[in-house]
Amino acid sequence: MTTSAPPTLASHGLVPAVKFLRTIDLVKSFGSKEVLKGVDLSVVEGGTTAIVGPSGSGKTTLLRLIAGFENPDSGTIELNSRMVAGDAWIPAHKREIGYVAQDGALFPHLSVAQNIAFGLDRAWNPAGRRANARRVAELLDMVSLEASMGDRRPHEISGGQQQRVALARALARKPKLMLLDEPFSALDAGLRVATRKAVADVLHAAEITTILVTHDQSEALSFADQVAVMRGGTLAQTGTPFSVYTRPVDPDTAEFLGDAVMLEAQLQGSLAMCSLGGIPVRHATLQGRVRLMLRPEQIRITSDGPIRGVVVDTVFFGSETTVRIRLSPVPGLAGGGEIITIRHWNASMARPGMELNLRVIGEGVAFPV
Amino acid sequence: MSKTQLVPDTKRDPRMTGGGKAPRPPLGVSALALLATLIALFSLVPLGYVIYMTIATGWDTVLELVIRPRVGELLLNTILLVLVTVPLCLVLGVGGAWLVERTNLRGHRWWALALAAPLAIPAFVNSYAWASTVPSLAGLGAGTLIATLSYFPLVYIPVAATMGRLDPAIEQSAASLGLGPWAVFFRVVLPQLRIAMAGGALLVALHLLSEYGAFAMIRFDTFTTAIMVQFQSAFSGAAGNMLASVLVLLCMLLLLGEAKVRGNARYSRVGFGAQGLAFRLRLGRYEIASQLALLSLFVLSVGVPLYSVVRWLIAGGAEIWDPTEFFPALFQTMGYGLGGAVATVVVAFPLAFLAVRHANWFSKLLELSNYITSSMPGIVVGLAFVTVAIRVVPGIYQSAYVLLAAYVLLFIPRALVNLRAGLAQSPRELEEAARSLGRSPAMAFCRVTLRLTAPAAAGGAALVFLAIVNELTATLLLAPNGTRTLATAFWAKSSEIDYAGAAPYALLMILISVPMTYLLFQQSKKAAGQ
Repeated sequence: MTTSAPPTLASHGLVPAVKFLRTIDLVKSFGSKEVLKGVDLSVVEGGTTAIVGPSGSGKTTLLRLIAGFENPDSGTIELNSRMVAGDAWIPAHKREIGYVAQDGALFPHLSVAQNIAFGLDRAWNPAGRRANARRVAELLDMVSLEASMGDRRPHEISGGQQQRVALARALARKPKLMLLDEPFSALDAGLRVATRKAVADVLHAAEITTILVTHDQSEALSFADQVAVMRGGTLAQTGTPFSVYTRPVDPDTAEFLGDAVMLEAQLQGSLAMCSLGGIPVRHATLQGRVRLMLRPEQIRITSDGPIRGVVVDTVFFGSETTVRIRLSPVPGLAGGGEIITIRHWNASMARPGMELNLRVIGEGVAFPV
Repeated sequence: MSKTQLVPDTKRDPRMTGGGKAPRPPLGVSALALLATLIALFSLVPLGYVIYMTIATGWDTVLELVIRPRVGELLLNTILLVLVTVPLCLVLGVGGAWLVERTNLRGHRWWALALAAPLAIPAFVNSYAWASTVPSLAGLGAGTLIATLSYFPLVYIPVAATMGRLDPAIEQSAASLGLGPWAVFFRVVLPQLRIAMAGGALLVALHLLSEYGAFAMIRFDTFTTAIMVQFQSAFSGAAGNMLASVLVLLCMLLLLGEAKVRGNARYSRVGFGAQGLAFRLRLGRYEIASQLALLSLFVLSVGVPLYSVVRWLIAGGAEIWDPTEFFPALFQTMGYGLGGAVATVVVAFPLAFLAVRHANWFSKLLELSNYITSSMPGIVVGLAFVTVAIRVVPGIYQSAYVLLAAYVLLFIPRALVNLRAGLAQSPRELEEAARSLGRSPAMAFCRVTLRLTAPAAAGGAALVFLAIVNELTATLLLAPNGTRTLATAFWAKSSEIDYAGAAPYALLMILISVPMTYLLFQQSKKAAGQ
């Protein structure tokens, strides 16, 4: 993170920079409500993109437009250099796009094996039936489900298993693009992480371009190599998980992607002066009064830290403790007295009333006031 | 990122694209909407007929025909019947439901079914049983007795279903606020039953207005019996039409009244978590009195009709089972039942689909028209179809199609209730999943939505089938010459005071109705649980 050019996926050497999916200025309204207000999204072949945003931001609508369940009011969607919506129209069943819905949407009248085989060509002879059965077994294995699971009904298996079956069903047709619409949100916390990991591994092994929609920022940051932050029907920011997290474009995005410490600061050159001292800021185009954003983990409690503060209160969470600290005024600097919230691993090191020494690691981001 | 990577060839205005190329709204839906509109218009034929006839007759003639002692007498009869019978049904229905659902009554599971059982006996069969057992029965008192015994389950079933699902925590809260058991019942339980009671009372009242056979049998004159007499003497005369207008007006008033009582109230449970089991009150020394009350109700409503039918069967001996009469009636009934059931489900499907999948003002309007049609008495539907068939499409008068069309109109609500529940269990997402798996929209619809709705459609068809088997009024008016269904054959025999000859038909109608009653009972339990 020392070069000045923003990193791209290609520069990380993760994927070849071939645009596989491109949406241009997508607009969609339901009744009088404009849900999408011009969305431009590009996804490279083999890449994993997470569209993250609060509920009602239009992310599911965007996914449904890409899948072909809805038609945009204006704008175009290109898939694999072919226009699928806009000037042309390719219906959902001809787009070769896999789709996994929030609750899996398994067909309740079919067994697990029949669900998975639903998208396969119907077998009219014994040889075809055997081929289909082999493919189903292969897919069950791919999503780490036992072959005996095939005879069960969807309501007889757990939520995590249902999502794996839904994934296997979508994989059966070897789609070029996989769309995941909050597929983990109905699962409880432990199962969610495990299922997410399993799904990510399967999709990565099959080299399928994937778009995940989620409202969970940690899920987005951990799952994808491109994160698109959606807010109010537009994409606020698109980039690698690291770049959107460390260099958000505005305070809303900053706070949506994680906890943020916001301080008043005076920006001179590339140094922001605030209650935490002089903090370096990259691409400092603004000057004068700014809002400075730091991530809480950038602020460390160390005995030799130059900044001093007093613990206001703490909340113990087990593995870590959040500590509210009132910053002491720094001689020669404006401000002081602000309360910031940071995290620390050791509860005994921070008790209310204790005075602590702090140090800031890395750079801050400056926003206009 | 992508905003800066727009390539030059997209400089044309992208907002101009996408217009009208894709099926939006999907072609299937607009075709369906058109179909549904046609069905709704068709379903408004009876109402339109009544309004047209009233206008065509001329205001002076209308007044002359409506304001006369005979109409006043009928009005008095009908209103008294409704005013006495509906409260009786409410008392029996709510009381029975409370004993069954909220007390430690012995055998409450058995009683729960037993109190629904009278529904398996068509009202005109019940009337026949009473009239042939106690020949002196006549007039308002007899009408009230028979109607109450036949129709109180219409209140009991929805009220019991709702009572079984009430959240006991609300009653426990009321008790903790210092209310005794009686106060809890009247201030907390009864208000929550308002929707079920209003709905049940409306059904009872509509049945009272439209029933023909039960009242004709005991020579009690209501609008419906008077219209039938007019029809038989003067066919589609002005006098009969004006009586029908007044009858429809009464039905509309009932609908309005029920809508007002029901209001906007929605008594659904607020909050999450599993619901506790309702507390059952100890009957103690009232147990014997309660058992006796329920037993006498059961004897009067089910015992007497069964006893009477069996008595006539025995009295008639073997000769009443004339196969040359019996089997044709059975087969014709089956034919009409099956044809009508299939037609009704097919016609109801677009309506249900629009209501569930595309709920908007349009589907609400369709539902309203269907709601109004469902209140139309069979005699009005019959009269309307006779007249329209003769005047507009003479070719189809006296054909089975007209009768089937009348069945569809009369029984569409039964199919709709089932289809809507079935469609609700087949969400749009499943169809979309099928489409993303490479199935065309039509294919996805057939393999997922139709397949998943099939059981509900079958249930709805069964209910319609059984309703057709017991339909008398419209069948009498519209059936082609020479038609004999179980109901009309029964009617012909019992009108000739051949009570023994009518008994086999009565028995068969009761036997066929038993599963319908059970289905309705189960369905109401499910509906209240949603």
